[in-house]
Amino acid sequence: MMKPENPDRPESSASADELRALSAFIDDESTDAERAEIAARIARDPESAATVAAYRAQDNALRALFAGTADQEPQVVVVRPRRRYLMAASWLAVGIACGFLMHMMLPMIGRDKPAPMFAQRADIAYAVYAPEQRHAVEVAASQEDHLVTWLSKRLNRSLTIPSLHEYGFELVGGRLLPGEDGPAAQFMYQNASGERLTLYMTSSTGKRREEYAIRMLRDGTRRTFYWTTEQAGYALSGQIGEAKLRAITFDTCAALGGDPKKWQ
Amino acid sequence: MSFDTDLVGILPQLRRYARALTGDRAWADDLVQDVTERALGRSAAFRVGSNLRAWLFTIMRNLYIDQLRGRRDIAVDDETAPWRQMAAPVGEVDGLVLRDVQRALYCLPVEQREVMLLVCVEDMSYQEASAVLNVPAGTVMSRLSRAREHMRVMLGEEPGRKSASLKIVSGT
Repeated sequence: MMKPENPDRPESSASADELRALSAFIDDESTDAERAEIAARIARDPESAATVAAYRAQDNALRALFAGTADQEPQVVVVRPRRRYLMAASWLAVGIACGFLMHMMLPMIGRDKPAPMFAQRADIAYAVYAPEQRHAVEVAASQEDHLVTWLSKRLNRSLTIPSLHEYGFELVGGRLLPGEDGPAAQFMYQNASGERLTLYMTSSTGKRREEYAIRMLRDGTRRTFYWTTEQAGYALSGQIGEAKLRAITFDTCAALGGDPKKWQ
Repeated sequence: MSFDTDLVGILPQLRRYARALTGDRAWADDLVQDVTERALGRSAAFRVGSNLRAWLFTIMRNLYIDQLRGRRDIAVDDETAPWRQMAAPVGEVDGLVLRDVQRALYCLPVEQREVMLLVCVEDMSYQEASAVLNVPAGTVMSRLSRAREHMRVMLGEEPGRKSASLKIVSGT
């Protein structure tokens, strides 16, 4: 009686046909005539009844496994392919327009190159910490000496914290951050109306860096001006308007020993 | 209703099926993305009035089979198989330990797994499943019957063997 399809039911009398009928019965896929016959078989044959119960249990378990796996979360909006080309084309147009404007209006910003990693990190660090109310900095400005000593040691060079007092910004404090190749420092400033700027400095790696003129990175209303000296990279980020931030950047660059005039 | 609206309505089902089929969230999300893009790109090929769900599931199924070929190295007992990374479900349903059912599901050949998921989880009729899988309804019926029997045997293994395989599943 044992069928090859059924090697696992050595004691079973059920054929593959019978199992198929039971399976279809569960799914309501039997014809009316079959249904009555199978119902009768289940009633008189405990083994068939057990098989049906086992299959039903599987169904319930599978539903339990996957029930709601996708319903309970928002469906990610899918980018439409044709629109995507349109979008790409319009972004390209916007990009070309921006590039052209930048070229016309901001010659000192220099050639279009992707922003170096440290500038992107500085920009993100601003976005992360500037909104922080209670933990904006690790060491407060009240311990400025300690802050300078600590971060100079970690960044392996002597740091100075420029004053932005004449622009109405006072030092809040600073923190240590992971940088692209070694620790980096972030100093935070705040003015009377609560606007914040951050000055980001990379550590000295010893290797000579490519020197960058002052350039800008933008993201929404956020601007990050960045430049490098032979030893380190610097970035000033804020949301106080481009012109004002640029003016502070040139001053800061000078205060830190750079020569912004070279790039003007 | 428009094609797009209907498609959006089916997205949760597509995602559930993709997760169940692949046993891998990231893979499933990519699949859904691919299917949606393909469907929107080929919406002209869809006959209005025919079964959109079956049409979308077919696209997904074909993509999945293609991608599976690319990942032929994945064996069921492979520690790196995607479903190994799935959270082990806790609980019992009708006396079946969900973790065992999950493991058994991914031990099934893919042809049996897909038919089981389409009919038992997605509540498709044999007719609809046969449209998705592009096989006769009779094949759906026998494949599903074999899948159920296969799973019943796996779930009914000797307790000793069962606990041994459970150890592998938890995959420390």
